[in-house]
Amino acid sequence: MASFGKVLCGTLFTNPCLRVLSRSIGASKCYLNQSKIINNLHIQTCTAPVAGAGSSRWYSNTTAASRLSMIEVETRVLKTVMRHYSVKPPMTIEQIKKRVLLVLQLYDKVNPDKLSLESHFINDLGLDSLDHVEVIMAIEDEFGFEIPDEDAEKLHRPKDIVQYVCDREDIYD
Amino acid sequence: MGAERQAVIDLYKTLLYMGRDYPQGYDFFRSRLKKAFQRNSDISDPEQIKMLVKRGEFVIKEIEALYMLKKYRTLKDRYSTEKENNQ
Repeated sequence: MASFGKVLCGTLFTNPCLRVLSRSIGASKCYLNQSKIINNLHIQTCTAPVAGAGSSRWYSNTTAASRLSMIEVETRVLKTVMRHYSVKPPMTIEQIKKRVLLVLQLYDKVNPDKLSLESHFINDLGLDSLDHVEVIMAIEDEFGFEIPDEDAEKLHRPKDIVQYVCDREDIYD
Repeated sequence: MGAERQAVIDLYKTLLYMGRDYPQGYDFFRSRLKKAFQRNSDISDPEQIKMLVKRGEFVIKEIEALYMLKKYRTLKDRYSTEKENNQ
């Protein structure tokens, strides 16, 4: 078939003619494939009863027995919290404040009782500069963007972090 | 002081990121790393700091190599049969 096409190309056919030709070739190919599939189906239907003679079921019993109820599936699949880094739900300043404070409370070296938006990491909370780096990394993970070192140095209080995140996410009151 | 401080903080941050997949756990790695940095916290000589940062960069390479080796071994285990494992 390929040589036939080459010959046609060689004899300077115009474009529409070639298109019609290629379409007809494509159609014949489709037809060939379909007939093959039909043949396969015939073979399968012939062999199926022989293979299935031993057992009446095609799937195993264990999967059916341990199948989860619809409620369990819903709680596992539908209620999983997904975090999309490209599409975010709109945030407010209050939410950001809460998230920043939550991250800081979860950090093991911060005393949750002393923590407030105004407390200084190094002077009030007793962290050293290495802890400060870890805090900034936790904030990066929480909000899904990177804070450069020059900016991180200026963030001494939770308030500063909230302000930085707001600027970054274009949130103003 | 500024440049050295920057370099040390950058090194600490990189090492913390590397430590997330450490075989003995992130917390183990973090406490060890912190101790190692605190041990040298009183050094103020720029030359010495530069030398220590170089050592830190060497440690980063070592950890990278460790992860590569771990990956290689895991793959090798997965593709070899039980018989080979017992030998």
